[in-house]
Amino acid sequence: MDEAKESVFEETKDDTGAKLGMWLFILSELILFGGMFILYATYRYKNPADFHHASKELDVILGTLNTIILLTSSLCIAASISAVRKGERKLSMYLLMATMALGLVFLVNKGFEWTTKIEHGIYPNSPALLARPKGEILFFGLYYIMTGLHGLHVLVGVCVFSVMLVLFVKDKLNQRRFIPLENSGLYWHLVDIIWIFLYPLFYLIT
Amino acid sequence: MEKREEQTHSVKYSTYIFVWMGLLILTGLTYTVAVRIHPGGWAILVALAIAGTKSGLVLNYFMHLRSEKPLIFKVIIPLVMAVFLVFILLTFSDVAFRGGVR
Repeated sequence: MDEAKESVFEETKDDTGAKLGMWLFILSELILFGGMFILYATYRYKNPADFHHASKELDVILGTLNTIILLTSSLCIAASISAVRKGERKLSMYLLMATMALGLVFLVNKGFEWTTKIEHGIYPNSPALLARPKGEILFFGLYYIMTGLHGLHVLVGVCVFSVMLVLFVKDKLNQRRFIPLENSGLYWHLVDIIWIFLYPLFYLIT
Repeated sequence: MEKREEQTHSVKYSTYIFVWMGLLILTGLTYTVAVRIHPGGWAILVALAIAGTKSGLVLNYFMHLRSEKPLIFKVIIPLVMAVFLVFILLTFSDVAFRGGVR
């Protein structure tokens, strides 16, 4: 009787399918951000001097720091997945928590950046911004939209990771079943890759 | 009962550490080139080349594309990038020639 129950409730495992699903989602996200990058490219092509001028107002140190933070968080989640595959549960959980902490620090830094800008009167549709040359208005519009959408993705990633933590505690994530963590990691690496492009395009315009 | 063979084995921590160090070095490089060297017209190409290399490292090692057995992963991603490249080319073939061909 128990055997029959087991076969009915047997979990179907399709790791390749699950991974493919996440990759397809990632590719759709690439198109989403890709569209905005094309917009950026067009406006920068049309307004090179304004973009250069506006870019100087961004904090390069903070931007570089945020890049390092995200790269390190990617290291942590990759190592976390290796750890769970080796059965090192505690290490995996600590690395996962480190990833989340770094993601939150990134968001706090972003918060500082944005509030500084907003305090100086630079935000979408502000009078101070609208008084500036057209190219600078476009730059800051793109800056807020693209880093904002990216920041939202970081936040979602942290939330997904917290769900992973819960799964760990319930032992639903372990050496035998780790695909949810691996897929969460894939999503996080995408967020990292998007920032790898955002950083030079917004902070390092010379 | 035989354990079902996994498609990829667990990656060594040291591999990840090396990739991470490479990423940090490339970040330092892109910062130095932009802020200290001022390459002028080449700036955007250098920046994109370095960013592309960093993404390649993340994709191949952190996201395991290198060790993925199914060919489908190695086909889909370049395919999407090609599509994206076409978007860019089409957009710029319009934008670059607005106001007539110089």
